[in-house]
Order: sequence, then C-alpha cells, then structure tokens
Amino acid sequence: MNAFSRALWNPIVAKEYRSRMRTWRSPLAMTIYIVLLGGLGWAVFAAISNNGAGFGLPSSGGNYGQILFTFLILFQVALLAFITPALTAGAISGERERQTIDLLFVTRIPPFSIIWGKLLSSMSFVVLLLLLSIPIFSLVFLFGGIELDQVLYAFLVTGVTALMLGLVGIAFSTLFRRTLAATVASYGAAFVLVVGTPVYGLLFPTDVNPSATTLPAPPAIAILSPVLPLLTIATNQSIQGYGVRYPGGGFATSTGSCVVQSGSTACVPVGAIPGKGAPVNVSGISNSTTTIPSGLFSGWQYWQASVVMQLVICAFALALSAFVLPPVRRLRLRGRPKPALAAE
Amino acid sequence: MIAVEDLTKIYGTRAALDHVSFEVPEREIFGFVGPNGAGKTTTLRILAALLAPTQGRAFIGGADVTKDRDKVHSRIGYMPDFFGVYDQLTVGEYLDFYAACYQLPKQRRQKIVDDLLALIGLSERKGQLVDTLSRGLKQRACLARALVHDPAVLLLDEPASGLDPRARVEMREILKELRGMGKTIIISSHILPELTELCTMIGIIDHGRMRATGPVAEVIARLTSGRRLRIKVRGPKEEAAAILAPLPSIQNVEVTDSHIEAEFKGDEAAVSEILLALTTAGVQVTSFSEIEGGLEDAFLKATSEEVG
Repeated sequence: MNAFSRALWNPIVAKEYRSRMRTWRSPLAMTIYIVLLGGLGWAVFAAISNNGAGFGLPSSGGNYGQILFTFLILFQVALLAFITPALTAGAISGERERQTIDLLFVTRIPPFSIIWGKLLSSMSFVVLLLLLSIPIFSLVFLFGGIELDQVLYAFLVTGVTALMLGLVGIAFSTLFRRTLAATVASYGAAFVLVVGTPVYGLLFPTDVNPSATTLPAPPAIAILSPVLPLLTIATNQSIQGYGVRYPGGGFATSTGSCVVQSGSTACVPVGAIPGKGAPVNVSGISNSTTTIPSGLFSGWQYWQASVVMQLVICAFALALSAFVLPPVRRLRLRGRPKPALAAE
Repeated sequence: MIAVEDLTKIYGTRAALDHVSFEVPEREIFGFVGPNGAGKTTTLRILAALLAPTQGRAFIGGADVTKDRDKVHSRIGYMPDFFGVYDQLTVGEYLDFYAACYQLPKQRRQKIVDDLLALIGLSERKGQLVDTLSRGLKQRACLARALVHDPAVLLLDEPASGLDPRARVEMREILKELRGMGKTIIISSHILPELTELCTMIGIIDHGRMRATGPVAEVIARLTSGRRLRIKVRGPKEEAAAILAPLPSIQNVEVTDSHIEAEFKGDEAAVSEILLALTTAGVQVTSFSEIEGGLEDAFLKATSEEVG
C-alpha cells in the first residue's frame, strides 16, 4: 500500500465508517435530509405552479427550473451547515472524552493521519448526502433553465463549503477538550462564515469611487459565504444592489447603476459613472454578468473567489489542527518552565 | 531496558516529578507504588512519549522518549488507568483496528488477534461489542490491545484498579505469563499486596520523589526498621516479657491478651538465643514467629517520612 492509499484509507476511516453506519442515527439523518430537501422542492414547485408571478417572474418552465434550483441549492447549503459541524465537532474532543486519544498517540499512526481520517470519514458522509440529493436536483432539468455546468459548480461550492465547515469543526474539536464547547464554537463559526459574511457586505458595503473606471463589487469577505456564489450560479447574473454604496445612496444593478435623488431614481448603463452620464471604457472585464467587476478578485467568477477563500480557511484550519493535536509539540508557543530545585 | 534519569515535570509551580531516577533491567516486573497524585501516571506518560519532561531523560531500550518517539512507540505497550474503548466495535474489530494503527499487514492481523484473544481468554467474546464487556473483560481487552504489536516493554497504569478479587487474580496470572514470554513490565498500583507477589523490583514514589527503589526484598528490608516477633507462651506472659526485655536484640516488649510482641534487631543466632533464654527460664513457648511486614509497611513508612 503506497503512501497515498494509506492516507486515503487509514484505519481511522474504516473504524469511523463501522461506528457511524451501525447506529440508527446515520440512516435517520439521511432520511430527514432527503425528506426536508424533497419537501422543500415539492413546496416550491407547488407554489410556483400555482402562482409563478408570486416570485416576480413570468410563468415559464425555464424560470420554474431556476427558482426551484435556487431554493434547493440554498436549502442544501443550510442543511449541510447544520449537519457538518455536528459530524466533526466531536471528532477529536470525543476521543479525548472517551479517553482513547492517548491510545492512538502511542500507535504508529501520525497525528496528521488521525485528523485526516476523521475528516475523510465525515466528508464521506457529506458526499453521501450530496449523492442522495442528486435525484431531487434532477427534477430541475424537467423544467429546464439550468445547465449541467451550473449544477456542477453549485455542487462544487456546496462541497467546498461543507469541507470548510468540517475542517473548522475539527480545528475547534482539537482546540477544545469538551465536545459541547467545540460544537458551540463550530456552529458559531458556521453562522459567521455562511450568514455573517453576507451580512457584513450589507452593513459595510464598498464605497464607490465616482472617478473609478470599473464597476464596484461587494467586499471580498462577503463573497466567502456560499450564498452569493450560489445565487449567481443559479440565476446566472450578479446580485443587484448588494454590497456597494454610491455617494448619495445609489445602488448597482447587473446592467448599470442607479442613484436615488429627490424621490426619483436615475440609472446609467454598465460602464457609466452615475452622475456623469457618459459611458466609460471598462477594459479587462468579462462580458459575463457573474464575474466580479473589481476589487481583489476582479475578473473572477463569484464561485471561484468563494472556493479559493474557503480553501484558504480549510488550509488554515487543517494546519492549526495538525499543530495543536500532537501530545508533545516540537514547536512551543511558550518557553519551558524552569525546573524546580532538587528535593529539600 | 528502561532507564529514567533525573526526570522532572513541573505543572505551573507544582513539581509532579522531582528528579526521579530508576532503572528496570530486561525481563523484570517493576512495581511502581505510590499514593494518588504521587507521580506514577506522569512518569508512565513520559515513558510512553505522551508527555514532555521539564527536565531529565528517559530511555526505552536505548531510545530517548523525547527524540525517538517512533522507536519508543514500537517498543512499548501502554495501558492507561482507564479502558478507552469505542462503542459499536466488536472485540475482534477493536484489536484489529489497533493492529492496523501499528501498521501490521492485514494478512497477519487476523492471526495476531486470534492469538491474543486466546492468551487473555477472550476468544469466545470476539464478536461481542467491546463496550458491552464487563469491567474485568474490558481490562483484559485493553491489555490485549497493548500487546497487539508484540512490544518488549509494557507500561501498565493501575491495571487492577476497580477489578473484583477474581479478576485481579486472573490479571496477575496473565502478567506472570507475559513475564515468562520475556516482557519487561512496569506496573503502577496502590493495591500493594498484589505487587509483593508479582513484582521482582519495586519503586516507591511520593509527592513526585522516588523514596526507594530496588529488588522487592531489599526495599522492604531497607524500609522496615527492625523485625517484629510474636511469641505465645503457656503461663504468665509478664514473666516471659521480663526475661525478654533485658536481651540486647530485643526492644519495646508489648504484652497483649493472647501473645507477646517485641521489636527485634539481630541475625539468626540472636533469634536462637532468645528462644534458648525463654526455654532455659522454664517458659513454655507454644509459638515463636516473625510478623510479616511486607510492602504495606514499607509503603506506609516511605510515604510518611523521609527515607535516608
């Protein structure tokens, strides 16, 4: 067995699979997951077929598909944001509480492999849930309006989000001795990462420079959450008026920007500066409306920026866990205490 | 096989270990005795490379526990003072999991697990969930886990803790068998009489300091201040006590309802002189024996005062 196979299939993974799948909790969690996702799909379908205009869209199959997909993918992320911390927050702290962690440390399995095994087994369950959701998502194709690549990108973002939340959970599980504390911290972090960052974009939008030659973009941190990228993937357009603030209280749209003045709204097309009227040449920006027009990730797709930022957090959480977990660390944060005097 | 040199471990301002040193040769069973909080577990955790000492060094088969942790882990079987079992795993799977963690080839693991289960008498429980075993059987399963990679050294932290007398006897027999297989064993306990019979060497630790270490008989002899004699006589005990009191090898004669007790310092010739003095004086001696002090007395003495 080579190093890669060993890393992929270390004993922890096999043991975790056995332990996890022998309880009633896993089938129950899968059932609830499918019932909730399917239930939401049915509810959205029922609502739009009865009153498509209620969603502000003309009644057509393509729009039905897009609406259904948007609801399903966002709900899936929300469900995974609840499930993933529960899978990983007890990964290491649970071993401490069961007092089995020392027994692993005295074997030849390196601490990193312990983390890797725990992560792999937890993520396998997430992948299983994602696979289970495919039949429900396939209903979207009955209506059309969603391409296969949109589904793939959306699942990629969802998977990476689950990975990030899983690794954050493992990091907290390594840091805290108690599973309860690790679970609370993991859910707190999940809330901040998934909900908090878009809220940050609302509260602290990018101030538009009137003399800029590019369109404004929301703060980069707001794109970290999977919500924005998934919305742009599902709707195939940027989120209008989100995350930017014009002097005078204007907002941006996918086709231009608007300024609210004295009760009336004046809009100018893409590439024009509000208040100045004439369009300017915006070079280097893709024609696609789902690209980020400016800022740190200028020219990137929203989902690309989100995935990269999430992977950076994954790497940080993994490195932190690998540093904290070993019982005897080679690197020390603090100096050693001085030895006591010999016995009196 | 095991060498501990000037080991010190400080938590904050408290010294859990204070310059502890001892050696355990190959194939010996070293009894590590001390009250709760004396530093036994800390020492064993350092030897298992689970804890870094503040100062000092420790070696397992020449491998430094702070530098050659992989070598140390391959040479030791560590059994902490708790069970450490997983739910939803059978006894066979539990042992196979740890065998896999020691990177033993899959083809060999099945035989190793079966052999170990036979050794500790758990063959018929192989398919039972390990979490549902009784306390004594869990302890045996944990011992089997520590043996899964055939280590030369066993570090056993209070293996008999919480076991009923029958399970303790069974555990003791298994440990004797392991010693016969050539293992070097350190066993910590505060259940002293068990160690008297089982161990070849002993170390008494208290408040992080090693009070005495060496072969069991030697440590006991060093720590017990003189031997005590119990003498039963027919007739007035006071007369016999009066004969004993002036003898140079006798001190502190006490007369009880049933017998006479006295502290004795001397060799075998002095013993026969005492008996001769009594019989010459016409005292009818019905019983003449030495009171066994054993490890319990040595332990109490060592942990209550400084040993010179």
